[in-house]
This record gives sequence, C-alpha cells and structure tokens, in this order.
Amino acid sequence: MRLRVCHLYPDLLNLYGDRGNVLVLCRRAAWRGIRVELEAVSLGECVRFTDYDLVFVGGGADLEQGLVARDLSRKGPYLIEAAQAGVVILSICGGYQLLGRFYRTREGREIPGIGLFDIHTEAGEKRLKGNVLLEADPELVAEMRRINPGAPATLVGYENHSGRTFLGSGVRPLGRLLKGYGNNGGDSGEGAWIKNAFGTYLHGPLLSKNPHFADLFICRALSRRYGEVSLAPLDDSLELQAHEVAKNRLLKSRQGKI
Amino acid sequence: MNAVDSGSVRKKGVRNQVKPGAVLRLLLAVLLGKLVAFCCRLFRYPGTSLPGHTALKVFPRLVEHLAGGYQKVIAVTGTNGKTTTANLIAHVLREAGFRVAHNSEGANMLPGVAAALLRDCDLLGRISSQVAVLEVDEGSVGKVFAAARPDLVVVTNYFRDQLDRYWELERTTGLLREAVSKLPGVTLVLNADDPLVAAVGRGQEQVLYYGVEEQSCTGSLFTEEPVPANSGKGHDWSALCEVVSGDRLISGGGIAEIFGETREGRFCSFCGSPLTYRCYHYGQLGDYSCPECGYRRPRPDFAASGVKCGEGRLSFTLSVFRSEDSFISLLGKIDTFSNRGGYGRERHQVEAPLRGFYNTYNLLAAAAAVLTLGVSPATLQKAVSTYTPATGRMEEFFLAGRRCTLALVKNPVGANQVLRTVKESRASKALVIAINDLAADGRDVSWLWDADFALLADPSVVRIICSGRRAADLAVCLKYSGVDTGKIAVVPEQEESLKLLSQEEAGEFYVLATYTNLFTYARLLRLGKVVADSEAQGLPSLS
Repeated sequence: MRLRVCHLYPDLLNLYGDRGNVLVLCRRAAWRGIRVELEAVSLGECVRFTDYDLVFVGGGADLEQGLVARDLSRKGPYLIEAAQAGVVILSICGGYQLLGRFYRTREGREIPGIGLFDIHTEAGEKRLKGNVLLEADPELVAEMRRINPGAPATLVGYENHSGRTFLGSGVRPLGRLLKGYGNNGGDSGEGAWIKNAFGTYLHGPLLSKNPHFADLFICRALSRRYGEVSLAPLDDSLELQAHEVAKNRLLKSRQGKI
Repeated sequence: MNAVDSGSVRKKGVRNQVKPGAVLRLLLAVLLGKLVAFCCRLFRYPGTSLPGHTALKVFPRLVEHLAGGYQKVIAVTGTNGKTTTANLIAHVLREAGFRVAHNSEGANMLPGVAAALLRDCDLLGRISSQVAVLEVDEGSVGKVFAAARPDLVVVTNYFRDQLDRYWELERTTGLLREAVSKLPGVTLVLNADDPLVAAVGRGQEQVLYYGVEEQSCTGSLFTEEPVPANSGKGHDWSALCEVVSGDRLISGGGIAEIFGETREGRFCSFCGSPLTYRCYHYGQLGDYSCPECGYRRPRPDFAASGVKCGEGRLSFTLSVFRSEDSFISLLGKIDTFSNRGGYGRERHQVEAPLRGFYNTYNLLAAAAAVLTLGVSPATLQKAVSTYTPATGRMEEFFLAGRRCTLALVKNPVGANQVLRTVKESRASKALVIAINDLAADGRDVSWLWDADFALLADPSVVRIICSGRRAADLAVCLKYSGVDTGKIAVVPEQEESLKLLSQEEAGEFYVLATYTNLFTYARLLRLGKVVADSEAQGLPSLS
C-alpha cells in the first residue's frame, strides 16, 4: 500500500511546528508498513492534486501568506477538483483561511480565497491565543472509534490567530469548544469540515497529541484507492498521555488559558 | 589599567536635572525598590525584576533618570546569545578597570533593567558605576531604549522565539528599527551574517558589522553540508522517502533531515525576493545576497576566521578591518588606551572557555563592542580567557561524580545548536530535558517540532528524561524524531528527574531547560542536594 502526501508551500507556510503533522502522518503510516511518498509543492509549480491521497497546508507569517495567496488563486481550481474527487485536505490556521471564500482586512479590503470551504474570515483586534480543548463532532468520534476503539472524544491543541472565521451553510465545525476561542470566539465552534476537506486553527502540532485524529486522515486518504482499510493498532501511550495531560489541565483551569 | 574618573566625563544631557517634586518621588522610588530587594533576599526569592517593578510604579522615569548618569550605556538585544554577549562585554569592561552596572540575571525588560540600576545606586539615587551594560528583551526595545538611551546597541540575531509573544519576526525587527530611529548618534554593532539584523543597518550613520568568514563555513565543525537557500524547496524530500519506506522506526531520520533546518529571513528585507547563499553557518546566518536588488551581506569590520571549538574552549582569529580613526572611542578621549597602536588589518587570536560553535558569534559581538568602545585588543584577549559562563549557558556542575552541563533551550535554532554540541561529545550521555510553558517560556510549545531532536537519536544517548509542565509533549516529539521509546522517560517533577538522571549509567549528563526551569535546576545542581555523593558546587551565586 502506498500513501501519497503533498505538502503545500512547506517553505513559506512553516510556522508553529505545523510540519510536525506531516511527520506524524508519515511515521504512523510507515510504522504500519505503508509506503509513504511525500512531495513538496510551492510557488509556481503545477501539479495534479488528484495524484495525491492527502494534501497538507499550514500557516505562515503575513509576508509569506501574501505570496501564497496570489499563487493559490491559480492552483485553487485544481485543488477544488481534487477535493471533489475525494482527496483528503488538511489545512491549518493561515492555510485554513486561504481555502475559504475571502479574508477581510481591518481596512475592509477583501482578499479572495479559493472558496474550497464556504467560510470567510475577518481580521480582529485582539489576538486569540491559548490552549484549546474541544469535543469532536459525534460523526468524527464514531469514525475515530471504528479505527481505534479506545479513541478519546476530544481534540487538544494551541491556537494563535487574529482572524475570526465564520462558517457558511453545509460546513460543520470540527467540534464544540470546551476551552478556548476557536473560529471566532463567539459561536463555540472550532475548525470546519465538509466531506474530506478539513480546516482548523489548532497547532501543537494538531496530530501529535491527537493520534486518533491522525489515523482518521490516514484511513480516509487510503480508502479512495484501496477501499475500506483497517489500520494495525500502535502503542499510543505517550501520545495519549500528552493528550490527557493537556485535557486535564484545561478542565481544571477556570478560564481555559493555562 | 586605570579606570576613568567617574566624575570627569558625564553625559551632556540634562536628564539628570530633576524638578524638586520629582526628586522626592525618585528618592521614594529608590528607597522602596531597595526595600523590596532586601525583602526578596531575606525570603530567598530571586527578585530580579520585582524591585524595579515597584520603583517604576512610584517613579516611572526612574530608568531615564538613572541611565542618564552613566558615561556610556551599552545595550545588547536579539533572540539568542544576549546574555552571553552582554556578560562578556561587562566582564571585559570590568577587567579593563571600569565599574559596570549590568542586569546579569537575564531580567531584560524595563523592570529588570530598573532593578539592575537600582542595585547600582545608593539610597540618595546616586549611581556608582561608570558604564551600564544592559541586556534588552527584543520585544522591550521600544520602552527600554527610550528610557535608557543607549550609545551603543549590539544586535545578535533574530530567530523564531516565543511567537505567541512577538508574533512574527517582521514585527520584532520593526520594533528595533523604530527604537533605533529615535536614538540620534547611536552606534550600531550588527551581525553581518544575519540578513534580518544586517538590514537594520541600512540608512544608519554609524554602523559596524561583525561576521564569521567563509573558511569556517564548511569546516570540520559539523558534517552538515551547506544547503543553497534557493535550490528547489530547500528540503531533501528524497530523504523522507528512504526514512519512512523502511518497515520500522529508523533512528536519525528526523524532521530536519526531511524538512531542512529551520531558517528565517530567507527573503530579502528590501525587495522580498528569495536570498541566495554562498554558505550557511547555522540557521539563516551565512553569506547571502539578493539576486534581484543586489542587497548582500555587508563586509564585516570585525571578522572571525579559523574557528576552533572543542574541549570546552572556543578560539578564532579576529581580523579588524578599520583604521583607528574610524573607531569611536566611546569612552571619551581619555588616554587610558593610548597604547592601542594602529588597527589597520590587525589580527588577534581570541580564546575563551566557551562551548559550542554558536558562541563564536557571542564572543565576536562582544569583541566588536569593546574594541569599538576603545578597549585594547590585549585587554580583550586577557579578559575573555577568564570568562565564566552565565547560569545555564553550558554551565558545568558535577552530579554523582560526573560532569553535568546545564543549558538553556528556548527556540528551535538555539536548541539545535545545543543539541549539536551535546552530540559532538563522544562520551555516552543521559539527559534531562525540561519544557515549561509559562509566560516567560512561551505558552506555545509547538516550537519543539521545529527543532532537530533527531540529533539525539544516537547510540551515545542512553536515556532522555522528559521533565517540566510539558514533559509529555516533548516525549511525543522525541518519539516521532526517531528516538527509541525505550530510552524515553516522562518525569515532570524537577527534583525527581535529577534523581533519576544521577542513577543513569552514562559518561556525562546534560540538563536542557526552558527559562522558568533553568534557575530551579541550577539551584538543585549547585546545592548538590539531589544525591548524597554529589558535592556542593563552589560556584558564584546568581546575584
């Protein structure tokens, strides 16, 4: 079995250890004897996204994000085509915003996104940062538990963004916030997903302390070409310990800031 | 060597003149600050900023007033190496015969600076030193520079550090540019090898650059081949395919092997194009140029070549490429250093008891600063050879009869330099790595994944004990970096972790800690309380 992974703009969107997500996906697949092919795709490069099983895009600094926005407007249609063909897409923070419809700056200017998700983002004053705990969407929880029977129903991570993201119809948040600000600090939702496309503000990196979520991506990515796959169980004691430590600390804290 | 008479040269400014009402507030502030400092000592609370904090509440212009009394104020800022560079400068100036006020504890925001200056003055608010050497947090340059008005600003480097505090590097360099623009007549001593730092010098009148020459680039220091910044994506993707196509966990196949080392500022600060590099030293430090607008690494006025490090010593040849006239003898036209001789292209051998290649930059920056100030090369050479590292900057202790090195880790590039130094030593080793996520450490620990912990996936590393509030996060990062999970232990409690470390069968020990863990480990190691046979350390205390 092969898993073909595309890391979009790893040279530009490279903040907050998000590349760790790619490492987690690749390692967890390799530990199960799956052959991983990883490719980097950056500015000016044309690829057929349908050739991959999974596309990852992280977040970056303002300057880099500007460069990416222009390039992504050309790649956008192909990325949407791939998403419609069932390629799994995981986007984080800046990447998540760029896959939406638009980003409205503080001055009211609208920077167009590629519109993969029916979401839009507005610049905010206060930076929303801190640890996050959410109860994952029941449908995702059921799927994660089919893969790993003991999987927690929660996701943990760290957020750091000034954009406020609002979801349109048809897009669902990844889950309900127990601690943290999430998409916009108002509606208790965090992230977005529709079919195989996922977006979130969670760093940490996201998949490092949520191994059950990582396996969901691997399963979905493989199922497009191999049908229903079952993954051999791994010893996740360290990952789950990190998950529990983060969760328990957040549940104990009053404001969810610790 | 004679020191300058403190009364003879004062700053021209009228900052010392305080209105009568303010005099009272000043006296009250000094009194209160000193009282708080006394109480801190009484209760053995570190108190590096608290006295300053209190005094500033009473008299917000305290730093402005006190700093105005020094002949010269020297500030050191940047991401990594501030403490070592500032300590080296203070040490050399003291050896040269000056009385120096200095925030040596790394309390580098305005209250910390205030506390250091308070310590330097008597109850009437009269300072006793001639020169102030201030380490300044890169996010606090606005406030501190406005108040202390440094005459000489040394900038080390800009790496990604505590992004939840400073957001992104563009903002940090912007803060420095703005702060410096409000200091007419300031002399900048900048790292020519860091494109982010060197760019700050453009348009400035008095700038001196320091840099490491190419022959040290590809030397035998590290086996790492320099990567051209602009070759494809700068990542060796083929490496990953090999790493992960194997059936099981392969040691050494870490994140840096896959993604390349963390590098900042790979884009020209002036036109935004990708920079090309002739060579890299580490991080984004190297010999760069912009193919679009022609911006390139400035020619260093102070250059290090023939860098050698190992056996706990660091040495290089320092070339000074300026005529004596262009030296700003900042310490006044006093004849103290009249025997300097012409500089021309003089070369000096500099050697200090420091470990790790990265300290080349700290030593070089300090040398550039003190030579600019008018210290003679001979005094510099003699002084740095007797330098003792600051707390947790590769500071050495003994634990259970073996050498135990304490090092601060706080961001990917700094951590990589420490990890390389650890790997370089051939002995078998056991480590405690303590990661906290309090405000001073940075709340977000995702930076761990931008560091290259695969360096520890090495047969010489027999055990890694993960400690601190984020011990579990680190354990996961080590696992995915290729460290054998059988070698990983999770022991969040500090004293407990040291106990376990002392029982390991290893030739030497290391403790790598984030900021808020550092002083606890230093104290535990110094007291030698952890194990009975670990002798108490006769090392200088923190204050």
